[in-house]
Amino acid sequence: MPPTTRDVFLTGATGLLGGDLLATLLARDPALRAFVLVRDVAAWQARVGRQGAGAPRAIPVRGDLSQPGLGMSAADRASVARNTVAVLHLAADTAFSRALAESRAVNVHGTREVLSLADECRQLEQFLFVSTSYVAGRLSGEVAECATDGAHGWVNAYEQGKHESEALVRAARRDALIVRPSTVVCCEATGAVRQANVVHQTLRLYHRGLASMVPGAADTLVDTVPYGYVREALADLSGRTDLAGRTLHLCAGRQALELGELLDVAYRHWSEIPSWRKRALPRPVLTDLATYQLFERTVLETGDARVSLAAKALSYMVPQLAYPKCFDTTQADAALGYRAPAPRLYWLRMVEQLLAVNWSTARPELAA
Amino acid sequence: MSARPVTPGIRAIRYELAESVQSVRELAAAGQLESDAGLLESFGFAQVHVAVSESPFDLALRASQAVLRDAGVDPDEIGLLLYAGTPSVSFAAAGGHREAAETIGGTSRFKYPATRLQYELGLANAATIALDQLACTSLISAVRIARALCVSEGIEHVLCASAEFFPGSAGREAIYNCTSDAACALVVSRESARNRVVASAHVTKGYYWDSDAMRNEIVASYFPTARHVMAQAIARAGWQPADVRWVIPHNVSERSWSILLGLAGLPNARLWSGNIARVGHTLAGDNFINLHDAVASGDVQPGDRLLLFAFGYGAHWTALAVEA
Repeated sequence: MPPTTRDVFLTGATGLLGGDLLATLLARDPALRAFVLVRDVAAWQARVGRQGAGAPRAIPVRGDLSQPGLGMSAADRASVARNTVAVLHLAADTAFSRALAESRAVNVHGTREVLSLADECRQLEQFLFVSTSYVAGRLSGEVAECATDGAHGWVNAYEQGKHESEALVRAARRDALIVRPSTVVCCEATGAVRQANVVHQTLRLYHRGLASMVPGAADTLVDTVPYGYVREALADLSGRTDLAGRTLHLCAGRQALELGELLDVAYRHWSEIPSWRKRALPRPVLTDLATYQLFERTVLETGDARVSLAAKALSYMVPQLAYPKCFDTTQADAALGYRAPAPRLYWLRMVEQLLAVNWSTARPELAA
Repeated sequence: MSARPVTPGIRAIRYELAESVQSVRELAAAGQLESDAGLLESFGFAQVHVAVSESPFDLALRASQAVLRDAGVDPDEIGLLLYAGTPSVSFAAAGGHREAAETIGGTSRFKYPATRLQYELGLANAATIALDQLACTSLISAVRIARALCVSEGIEHVLCASAEFFPGSAGREAIYNCTSDAACALVVSRESARNRVVASAHVTKGYYWDSDAMRNEIVASYFPTARHVMAQAIARAGWQPADVRWVIPHNVSERSWSILLGLAGLPNARLWSGNIARVGHTLAGDNFINLHDAVASGDVQPGDRLLLFAFGYGAHWTALAVEA
């Protein structure tokens, strides 16, 4: 008897993108049932209401990406394998500061385990892997929507781990769809930030007058995308078996803001506030990577604990700006039929929002 | 026929260092450093001069006497004395605590080293002005004022003198810089064949007035503001960065100079850094101590374009463009 539900297996449902994607898929398709891999079923059940009316169709499966066999019970594994038509692998350890071995434990080993589970899914129609546009690492220039060779190296272990994960996916499944979002920053409509990242941390330091310099040039593109675009795009790409074997960039691409403009917009906004303007804080200097890293090293050697912590946090991603790049989005735009919103449309709103809430979404070490 | 524009210059420079020398390691052993000695050595510091029996006035007087001789200027010809190194004014409110009352109360507050220096040197025609609260930018500021008054009031010669000590028992480290006791004096002349002061720039950021509370912010602001002030002086001189033959520094850590030169697009090789290890940092006038020695060593040749930059904690950034 054919199944009455359309089953998918989702990792990363407790994360920002995975949670949004799950809610969207459940809302869009009343026949969809999602097995979601979670480490703590009780914690999941406590917050499952976030999934709205579709919540009962989100079935938590206890497991852990870093464990052999994903740490799943044989019974759960059999349940998932029976009718799953799509594996949506979004889970990742996104901390840039991890050592390579730690990053690999989740991002590479975990992906290997998810691929193994996918092999057991006899009804599988789609394997969708969410990577990152920054697998390009230290590559400069135009970044194509295809495999990268890693020859230029990476800025942090997260980028390398994701690159290695992509290689695993390509080797295991020629039909996999690999999706690479760039830096997800805010809600396009309101500018609200739900999860702080290095972009928000840098702006925080800039506003406080603690950002002395930034590597890069005024025309270096800083690629950002809003939550809604990534959520809708991932939902639209789910089930798209016609895109098997493709790699797509969910990026602003040529619409990305230039670093100089990005800093100027924030400076102009803050300068409208008399108490901030009165401080006469300097704009950070745009400089070469060697000078920036010498400064960073000096701060780490001499700075107080708070500044050193902030410098350390930024050191894992900010150097990426020294490798200017533009992500090609031709294939993604064609597949989706729409482009990412231009960051110019929401960047100021985000800057306004961050100030309005005093960066309350920022990590504790950067909170006021 | 139009008059030739006047570009005052620095006719002569002399300095005096306290006699006693202590190595960075000795200072560390005596508990007079905040940072590890190895770190400060890696920043280029080796030793400092520490006053034992001298006073700031003693050194200022000796340096001033010597510079008048070197300049070949009679004391009567000095039209202005600019003295830096006066005590700071207290923040205590009127009627406040006893210490403040003792410091600023009564007529003892009017015993000034600047006027005594004028008297001891026999500068009978020199109006005397003291500069304060400019920290390590005091002497560059004095040169800027001297230059302006030479042009606007026709003063022929200005004696600028600066002397600053750290108290004997105090620490010797100021923001990762090892500090010497010293005095420096120079003569700015309306017409000078050497060291013509072509342009200057100065930025003050009062937001950082509480320098202890704003230490991190000052460090962060230091580099972009320094780069801006240096670029402004170069632009006002009508030069390009590549025209600068030597950057004559204030003697802060070589590491911070490497960063700043990187930001300014100037090669490290143009930094005249020989005195950072030998003299350390002084509040009295690193740039001119270094300019004196750079000329004496033959490194600086007539016509060389020089950029002098100093930062004064509290917070001032200042630069001079000088044609040697």
